[in-house]
Amino acid sequence: MKKLLLAFLLTLPLFSQVEGEITVPYVEFPMKEGKGMYKTRGKCNMCHSFGYIINQGEQSKKFWADKIERMIVSFKVPMTDKDIELVLNYLYENYGNGKEE
Amino acid sequence: MKRREFLKKAVVITGSATIGLDAVEVGETVHPIDSRKVSPIAFPEKRPLIMFSDRPPLLETPREVFTSALTPNDLFFVRWHMPVIPTHIEPSTYKIKINGEVEKEITLSLDSLKKDFKQVELTAVLQCGGNSRSAFKPTTNGIQWGAGAVGCARWKGVKLSDVLAKAGVKNGATYIGFNGKDSAVYSETSNFVREMKLEDLNDNVILAYEMNGEDLPYLNGYPLRLILPGNYSDSWIKMISNITVSNKKNDLFFMDKAYRIPDNDCECDTPDKKAEKTKPIEKMNVNSIIGYPVKESKVRNQSHIVVRGVAFDAGSGIKKVECSTDAGKTWSEALLDDGKEGSYAFRAFRYTFKPTKIGKLTVMSRATNNSGEVQPFAKDIKWNHGGYKYNGIDEVTLEVV
Repeated sequence: MKKLLLAFLLTLPLFSQVEGEITVPYVEFPMKEGKGMYKTRGKCNMCHSFGYIINQGEQSKKFWADKIERMIVSFKVPMTDKDIELVLNYLYENYGNGKEE
Repeated sequence: MKRREFLKKAVVITGSATIGLDAVEVGETVHPIDSRKVSPIAFPEKRPLIMFSDRPPLLETPREVFTSALTPNDLFFVRWHMPVIPTHIEPSTYKIKINGEVEKEITLSLDSLKKDFKQVELTAVLQCGGNSRSAFKPTTNGIQWGAGAVGCARWKGVKLSDVLAKAGVKNGATYIGFNGKDSAVYSETSNFVREMKLEDLNDNVILAYEMNGEDLPYLNGYPLRLILPGNYSDSWIKMISNITVSNKKNDLFFMDKAYRIPDNDCECDTPDKKAEKTKPIEKMNVNSIIGYPVKESKVRNQSHIVVRGVAFDAGSGIKKVECSTDAGKTWSEALLDDGKEGSYAFRAFRYTFKPTKIGKLTVMSRATNNSGEVQPFAKDIKWNHGGYKYNGIDEVTLEVV
């Protein structure tokens, strides 16, 4: 009997505790209106939410410039010089701390 | 190069941004952010947690959870790097591949892992290397976590060494690489691939499919993740798809550039001068978190307050936890739990005291491990560019009424 039960247990199919697809909720992180908002959304939100950016807090122009550089150099986001200028100014004007460095 | 110049120029466009020669920028460390509230939105298999991002999902465990040795699965923190994560895994067809410098390349189903290998269980702390990063000023690269990018669970799975033995590791092999199912948007972006030295492999390194007696939650790496007790979570690859054995170290962004600290005695550098020589963050330092009371808890004067929390390190084990209610002038030893979850686990502590004065009161916790390491005050922690390895004495300020 015990053997039978064991055999039965071993042949149980694998079930995951979640059936079907999981759905990660979409969370809106409102962006401040301003020049370059659409470009910033287009470039940054390809890979991550805007929440990923604003948890950094208000920062200097150099800080945001370093972040953009990191995204280009380390994570390969394609950006033209014009894109960089737009996104940098948008971030600094709307999420800046008033300091250049 | 051109871009770099542009970015440099962009910073000084407005001209007046000159810093005086005497203004040397110094990094400081304060207590990490402790004011964030849980999000109203719950993620799959989770209760509402502190939420930084939905894509990739980034969820932090609120402080009040840290009162027991095990962290419930639905309150366990979540950190992914890549935006594209499978939202469905079929357990009956899921397979992992072991290839590279092995005698024979093999693929193993979940079923085979569960049936053909010895099952092992181990309780271990999983902590992001950037846990409490919001303590570092100026702001460093990465998510500005509070103190809750950490948790402890009982993991069940199979020994990585048994799985590798089945494939047969070739002589001369030196590294084991791990890749998961998550991926980047741009094909040029590096995948989140991590490597460990073969010489660091031991029986505590496991491939786990269960967490606290249940399937791993999707967001914690269902159906299989690597467990590397004592090490920060950067190498605990989730949704493992591939294990590749190599005979040389490979060039990997997430090994060579990220998750590194200055290779000097203080493991520190300054905002204006990045350390040239760096090393991987690897082993966790000694740490403790107060779970109760929390910020702004109200308690009655002259009543018995039981402070509860957890302490942990990289596996030498917690020797003692002390609490202070007078800004660290005097310390009293807290009671530790029985430690039956083992030396890689959280050690729950409790400390009873009676407030005697109405007004604000700060409670602190300080852990010491068996290797003699003691948590420093937050202000004494040295700044580093990645904002890694913060382990300042924890504190919460409550109100005695």
